[in-house]
Amino acid sequence: MDNLESLAEYIMVEARAQGADYVHCVVRESEKREFNVDGGRFSLMRTLFNRDVSITVLKGSRKGSVHINRFDEGSVYDAISECIAASESAEPDPAWQFCDEPTEQIYVQGAPVCDTEKLFFRTKELLEDIRERHPKILIEQMITSHDVYRSVYMNSNCVMYHPTAGAYNFSLMYSGHEGEKSTSFFGSDVTLANLDKPVIECALIDRELGEIEKQLDPEPLEGKFTGTVLLAPAALSEIVLDAVFGDFVSDSSLIDGTSIWKDKLGEKVADDRLTISLKAMDDDVVIGSRVTGEGYPAESFDLIRNGRLVSFDLSQYGANKTGQKRAGCSTGNVFITAGEQSTDEIIKGIGRGVLVMRFSGGTPAPSGEFSGVAKNAFLIEDGKITGALTETMISGCVPDMLNSIRAISSDVLKDGSVSLPYIAFDGVTISGK
Amino acid sequence: MLDDILSVRKSEFHSGSHTELRGQLNRSRKVTLLSGSVVANARSDISGVSARVYKNGTYGFSSMAEYSPEAAAKVLHAAAENADFMDLHAGAGKGPLPALPRKTYRVQNGINDPAQKVYIDFAKALDAYVAEHCPELVSRVVVAMEDSMEKLLVTSDGMDAHTILPRSYCYVVMTAQTGDGQPVELFKSFGGEGTFDLNFTDPAVWYPQIDSLYENIMKKREGVYADAGLKTVILGGMMTGMLSHEAVGHTVEADLVLSGSVAGHNLNKQVASPLVTLTDFANTAFGKRCPLPVYVDDEGTKAQDVTLIKDGILTGYMNSRESALHFGMEPRGNARAWLFSDEPLIRMRNTSVHPGTDKLEDMIASIDDGYYLIDSGNGQADTTGEFMFGVTMGYEIKNGKLGKALLDTTISGVAFDMLKTVDMVGDTVVWASSGFCGKKQPMPVGMGGPALRCKVMIGGR
Repeated sequence: MDNLESLAEYIMVEARAQGADYVHCVVRESEKREFNVDGGRFSLMRTLFNRDVSITVLKGSRKGSVHINRFDEGSVYDAISECIAASESAEPDPAWQFCDEPTEQIYVQGAPVCDTEKLFFRTKELLEDIRERHPKILIEQMITSHDVYRSVYMNSNCVMYHPTAGAYNFSLMYSGHEGEKSTSFFGSDVTLANLDKPVIECALIDRELGEIEKQLDPEPLEGKFTGTVLLAPAALSEIVLDAVFGDFVSDSSLIDGTSIWKDKLGEKVADDRLTISLKAMDDDVVIGSRVTGEGYPAESFDLIRNGRLVSFDLSQYGANKTGQKRAGCSTGNVFITAGEQSTDEIIKGIGRGVLVMRFSGGTPAPSGEFSGVAKNAFLIEDGKITGALTETMISGCVPDMLNSIRAISSDVLKDGSVSLPYIAFDGVTISGK
Repeated sequence: MLDDILSVRKSEFHSGSHTELRGQLNRSRKVTLLSGSVVANARSDISGVSARVYKNGTYGFSSMAEYSPEAAAKVLHAAAENADFMDLHAGAGKGPLPALPRKTYRVQNGINDPAQKVYIDFAKALDAYVAEHCPELVSRVVVAMEDSMEKLLVTSDGMDAHTILPRSYCYVVMTAQTGDGQPVELFKSFGGEGTFDLNFTDPAVWYPQIDSLYENIMKKREGVYADAGLKTVILGGMMTGMLSHEAVGHTVEADLVLSGSVAGHNLNKQVASPLVTLTDFANTAFGKRCPLPVYVDDEGTKAQDVTLIKDGILTGYMNSRESALHFGMEPRGNARAWLFSDEPLIRMRNTSVHPGTDKLEDMIASIDDGYYLIDSGNGQADTTGEFMFGVTMGYEIKNGKLGKALLDTTISGVAFDMLKTVDMVGDTVVWASSGFCGKKQPMPVGMGGPALRCKVMIGGR
C-alpha cells in the first residue's frame, strides 16, 4: 500500500472496524542524503529511505499507541490489532481529547528537493573556509544533510493535513588545537531552506568558531564568588529553557502538581524585559508546525510576556487534567525577544563574572536549582574579557535568575528553528579550585 | 526471528571493496504511569535493511525501511554508488582494509514478546505498592519498558552473525517536598538483560528496592546543599561506572582520538593512580556474564575485551576496523549501530574499573570532611577529559561517619588528573545498564566499577 492517503484511510476504517471509538494516524515517507566528516576529512555518504506509521486509538477512553515502519497491509493490520489490545489493557481516562473540527490542508515547506551536488559543494566549501579563517579549529565531526518528508495526518473526526517539507541541515562539532593544547568541544547547528550563501555566514557559526579559537590557554578560577553570568544561546537553552519547559510549564509537572509555577498564571515570574514565545510558523523557522499532536491547528503564543506568565505549555490532555487552557502549539521553536545592548556593551558593564557558551550540568532540580561546569567560558573583569576558563562551576536557581536579569542582548542566534539572545544574570555562584 | 534472505546476496557485493549487509529489527514497549494514570502506552517495531561499502578510505551507506530481497538489492546498489561518489570527490586513497578470518556466529532461538497487558499489570502492581507504602510523596512515576535489537549481518570478510540483545527495566521516580515546599526527586531502575516476562515475574521481589528508594528520598528532603569546591569524596560504584564511561571511555574511542582527544598524546603514559585498571569488556567480566554482552560487532569483528588502562598506564583505544588500521592496533568488536538505518560507530560495550581490596566502611571512616556520592542522574565529558556528573543521592562525611543527605549537586574534574588522586579502591563492582550512551546514535551500554576515594570539584553553595 504505497499511497499515503489510501493507507491512512485504511487505518481509519480498520481501527473502527476493530472497535476503536477514535483513531488518528501519521503516515510518513522520508529520505535523507547525508555527508559525514570525521577528524576533518570526509568519511561517509548516506542515503536513507524511511517509512513510519504511528497509530493512536481510544476505546472506552482507554488509549493505546503503536509505531511501525512498514506499509504492507498485513503489518499495518497487525499493528492496528496490537494498538487495540494495548488500549483495552489501559485504564479509562476521560481527559484524552482530540480535535473534532473537520479540516483539510495540503502544503509545502522549506526545500523539498535536494541538490546533492550543491550540498557536497557547500560542505566542502565550509571545511575550506574554516581551515582558512580558523586554522586552529579541528572539525571533530560535521554532518550535513538534506531531509525531506511527505506525510499524512488523519483522524476519525475528518481532520487531515498533508505536509511536504524539506531542509538542509548542518551540524558541526569542533575544538581548538595547537600542539598538545586543546579546547573543550563546541557545537554549531543551522537549518536552511536554500544553499544560496556560504554556510559559514549563517547563524553564529563564524563568530562561535572564532570564540573557540581563543580558548587554547584556559586557566582554572581561584576561589568562589557571587557574580554575573552571561549565558550565550546554547547555555541559555541548557540551563534556563530546560528548567522552564522541563519543570515549570509542561504537562508532567503540572499534572502531578510539582511545578513551582502551578499557581503563577497571570503573575510576574521574571524581569519585565523578558518575553518568551513558542512559534508555530515564522519567517525565521524553516519548517514550522501547522497541527498539534492532538490534531488542533497550531498557533504561536507567548509563554512569558514582559515578565508575566501568560500561558502554560499544556496539551489538551494536560489542560483537561489540570483545568487550565491548552497551549497554541508545543514546538521547540523558542523565541526570546531581543534587548537593546550588544553583547560587547553588556560585557563592558560587568564588574566580575563569566561568559558561558555551553553548560555541562546535572538536570535542573524541580525547584530550578542547578549546578554544573561552565564550558567554553571566559572570565570577565572590570568590563573586559581577561581570559578563558577551565574547571569552573556555576550554580544557582532559575526562578531567582529570571528576576535578576542584568541585560538581554540585541544580537541573537537564528538557526532556522529558534531565536535566542545572550542574557546576563546577576547573583550566580561561580566557583573554582 | 529475521529470516536469512541476505546470505544469498553475497554474489552482488561490490568487487574489490569491503561490504556489510545488515537486516535489523528494533523492538520497544513502554508503559508510563504518572501518579496512577497511564500517560504512555506504546509499542514500536522498526525493521529494515542497510548496506555499507568501504572504498579507499571512505564509506557509502544506504538503508530502506523494508526487509525484503528487493530492498537488499536496492541498498547494496545505492551504497556502492555512494562509495564511488566519495572515492571520486573526496577519495582518501587508503587502499583496502585488512581482511578478517571468515567465521559464523548465530543465536538459535528468538525472544518472547509479552502482550502490553503484562507491562501494564506489572507497572500497576508497583504503583499500588508505592501509593500505599510511600505516603509522604507528592508525585510518583512508574515505567515498565523493554527494548531489543535483533541483527542479521553478512559481510564480504569477517564474521557473519545473527544476534539478539533484549533488555527490560522498571523505573520508579519519586517526588517529595522539603520543609519549605521545594520539590526533590529521586529515581531508581531495576532490571537488565532479558525480556520483560523473564525479568519481572513477581512485583514483591522489587518492594525492598522501593522501600530503600523511599527511605533515601525522605532523607534527601531533609538534605543540605554541598559546599562548593575541591573535596575528598568516595564515589560509589554507580558513580565510578559513569566515570569509566563518560570521562575515560569516550576519550579513548579511536574516532575521538583522531578528532583530537586528550588520549592521543597519552598512550603508554601514566594517566591514573597505579591502583586503577580499566577494561571495556565484550561479554564476560570478572568471571560473570556482562550486563549487555556483545559477541560480534556490526563490521563482522569478533568481540574481545579491550584493556584501556593497566595499573594506571593508558594502554589502548577502542577501534573500528578502519581506525585499527590507522593506529596499527587490532579491532576488537567495538563498531556498533543502533537502528538498521544507522552505520556502525565506535561504541563501548561494558566498561568498568577493576575492583581493589578496600572495604567501603573503611573508606568512609578514612575521611574527616568530605562526601559519599552514590547515584547519578546524568553525565557528560569533553574530549579534553573534563567531565561533569549530576549527583542525585549522596551524604556528607564528617569525622569518618555519614552525615546529612545532599540535595542535587554536580561534580566535575579532568579525568586524567582526577584518576591520579585515587588512593583507595573498593572490593565490590556495581553495574548499571538501563541507560543509553549518546553519540550521533543512542546505544545500550553497561558501565560499572567499585567505590573510589579521590578528589573532585563539587558544585553547591
